[in-house]
Amino acid sequence: MRKGFTRSFLFAASLAGGLMSQGALAADKVTYQLDWLPGGDKSPVYVGVQQGFFEAEGLEVSIASGRGSTDAITKIATGQADIGSADIGALMAAKAQDDSLPVKAVYSIFNQAPHAFFTLKKNGIAELTDIDGKKVATSPFTSSNAFLPLVLKGNGLAEDAVKLTKADPGALGPMLMNGGTDAIIAWVTNIALFADQAKATGNELVVLPWSDAGLELYSSSVVASDKFLSERPDVAKRFMRAFDKSLKFTHDNPRKAAEDLHSMVPEVDVDVVTAQIGDTMKLVVNSVSDRDGLGALTEERVALTWDWVAQAEKLEKGVLNPETVIDRDLLEAL
Amino acid sequence: MTESATNRSFVQLAGVGHRYDPNPDIPPAITGINLDIRRHEFVAVVGPSGCGKSTLLRMIAGLLKPSEGSVSVFGKEVDGPRDDVGIVFQKPTLLPWLTVRKNVLFPLKHKYGRYGREDEKRADELLAMAGLETFANKMPDELSGGMQQRVGIVRALLLNPDILLMDEPFSALDAMTREQIGFDLLKIWQENPKTVLFITHSISEAVLLADRVLVMSKRPGTVLEMVSVDLPRPRTTHTISNPHFGKLTERLRKHIYEPEVA
Amino acid sequence: MSLKLPDGKAGRFLLTAAPWLFFLALIVLWELVCQVFSLPEYVLPAPSAIVDAFFNVEFSRWMTHLWATLRVALMGFVVSILVAIPIAIAMMRSELLSRTLYPLLVVIQSTPVVAVAPLIIVLMGSDDPSRVLITCLLTFFPLVVSTATGINETPAELIELSRSLDAPTRRETWQIRIPYAIPHIFSGLRVAITLAIIGAVVAEFVAAEEGLGYFIQFSTSFFRIPQAFAGLFFLAVVSLLLFKSVQWAQQIFFPWSLPRK
Repeated sequence: MRKGFTRSFLFAASLAGGLMSQGALAADKVTYQLDWLPGGDKSPVYVGVQQGFFEAEGLEVSIASGRGSTDAITKIATGQADIGSADIGALMAAKAQDDSLPVKAVYSIFNQAPHAFFTLKKNGIAELTDIDGKKVATSPFTSSNAFLPLVLKGNGLAEDAVKLTKADPGALGPMLMNGGTDAIIAWVTNIALFADQAKATGNELVVLPWSDAGLELYSSSVVASDKFLSERPDVAKRFMRAFDKSLKFTHDNPRKAAEDLHSMVPEVDVDVVTAQIGDTMKLVVNSVSDRDGLGALTEERVALTWDWVAQAEKLEKGVLNPETVIDRDLLEAL
Repeated sequence: MTESATNRSFVQLAGVGHRYDPNPDIPPAITGINLDIRRHEFVAVVGPSGCGKSTLLRMIAGLLKPSEGSVSVFGKEVDGPRDDVGIVFQKPTLLPWLTVRKNVLFPLKHKYGRYGREDEKRADELLAMAGLETFANKMPDELSGGMQQRVGIVRALLLNPDILLMDEPFSALDAMTREQIGFDLLKIWQENPKTVLFITHSISEAVLLADRVLVMSKRPGTVLEMVSVDLPRPRTTHTISNPHFGKLTERLRKHIYEPEVA
Repeated sequence: MSLKLPDGKAGRFLLTAAPWLFFLALIVLWELVCQVFSLPEYVLPAPSAIVDAFFNVEFSRWMTHLWATLRVALMGFVVSILVAIPIAIAMMRSELLSRTLYPLLVVIQSTPVVAVAPLIIVLMGSDDPSRVLITCLLTFFPLVVSTATGINETPAELIELSRSLDAPTRRETWQIRIPYAIPHIFSGLRVAITLAIIGAVVAEFVAAEEGLGYFIQFSTSFFRIPQAFAGLFFLAVVSLLLFKSVQWAQQIFFPWSLPRK
């Protein structure tokens, strides 16, 4: 009797195990390509993995770090990844140069420009026009550089109103703190990091976001390969459903999100990442998202984005219909 | 040809010449050399630098084909590398990664890929004959230059060749060592008779060691004279003080430095 | 003016201790400069801050990153040995091959690997094979050159000896030429092993999820300069140990190839 019980138990267990492993086998594999190293601004996808949002959609998501938007777009275009994050401006510029680029934006993460001037209170730059004639440091490859002349012009300054020097991203903070430069160009996602450095040297950080100065555009977005969208539309839909959920969760629980990132990337510091998420979410959830909805890619703002990008990259506006880099099917299916 | 071999002519060079450069404006290295070496004869070759002494040696070893004339050994024309010659070079050229014994055995290892107990015994006997038995397991760089060169000679003897070709073997050694190793060579040669062709820069060394001394001219190298050394054997340090030794070296010196007068 | 070492034991001790003492003095000076001028650590972290940062990272994380870098570096190193030495031998045997390959090798060598690395990642994916290839591109040229140089420096007399014995070319290569090239091969290996680490780090800068190069890049992206320095020093120590290991291997397996003291 007892023996029979054990046997039937084992049988049931193996059956269940078989079913479960079959379930695991059936999970759809998706590779998500980041456009930079893991950090607070990249945490939603890690949240999706850790909170089981992807698993619930029957997805097995692996995450690869990247080295810039162009790198991420290239890897997605060549099939090394299915979907990922990249600057929509970089995608438009790439598409303008190569019409056959098989990558489309499917969801906006930042609906605001992340670029900003960072300065110290003692430097006396209280608003953007005060930057006139000041020394400004920036890193050599940031997309911000292309927008700088437009921002200056938009605020009634000459395109060469600032004395620009280029330096390694890691050197910008130190340069600002020790007076090597009056201001630096950086992303608002790093406000907390720079504020800490300022505090450590007895200074107060002042941030002048370019979005306040008229730079209205989409920035970091979810982009996917045409192949992924056309061959596995259902997987793509499920992925975006989980991603959308992850983004909301990240916004509502920044500390939890930071812990999720930390458990997959132990090098990150939970406090730092929590602060980064706080800064980042201002680019995600704001008046624009209140009006259009989270992740939206409105025709009007896409056109506006291309206007800025075309000007910044000195491209003819007519070389690209910006709508050709957009695929709204996934947004509509949410 | 077999006739000349029985005629006690063991190594025979007939009208041998060689040019490295086909350009006729450049004189050949050696030209018109006729030479007969008897079996177990010790022949020394002297001559100015670049007179083609080494070329001669390499042609007998079969490493170089004469452009004119022919070289034959024991009545057979030499037409490729032959394994019945042992070569001793100016530098000992021992293999630094092998012990002295293994260096001596190297020709077997290299030619056949292996060697046996018997061969090892023979190597040890040869080393003992050269007074090197206690150094068999040492590495070459633990030996002095003179000892290294002795190992080089022993290595050349391993395959018991009929002909020993020595290309200025002692020129890198100091004078004292040089004299001693010369006598050692004679001792080895007397115990294992070989036909020896010994190239040297030193006239007194040639006279001290050889049965006959071949004097070569400047480039293009030809035979100026063949001098028989009728000094009694065994040769010792006393040989050097023999007045005839002085006369012979004097005569050779004249040939080299004032060939026209001679 | 000349500095004279004290005789005997004291002199020998000073000779071995000098580099360490110098290094120690540098560290102390560094620490003092940081303390006295109270430099913020993102400008120049003090050695004490670097040590702190080192121990703040979990040991197992260090090992994960170390293994990732070491794996790629050693695979690249071994693959380039397996490629470079046969190429060097083949080039020695065939004048035609040598003339055909040499310009190509020089072109590969003079192409900055940093510039080619992203292309390799795009073509071959961002997994170990790409990283190993990037490493190989850096390491294999010095190996080919040193092996070829060694092989060509075999004394001509030994080649004549081999020919006079009428031995097969294969034995001439293996019993004479290759052993003669050993000292040169090892000087090539010493250069190659440190280049292998550099290659692995370059590859990690382009695409990686772990490794010491990735760790340094990652630390910098969070402006954690002391942590980046800790990674850098760890990398330097690993590199030094690998360099020493090559020397030890030569001492153990080929003692004759080192100059006798």
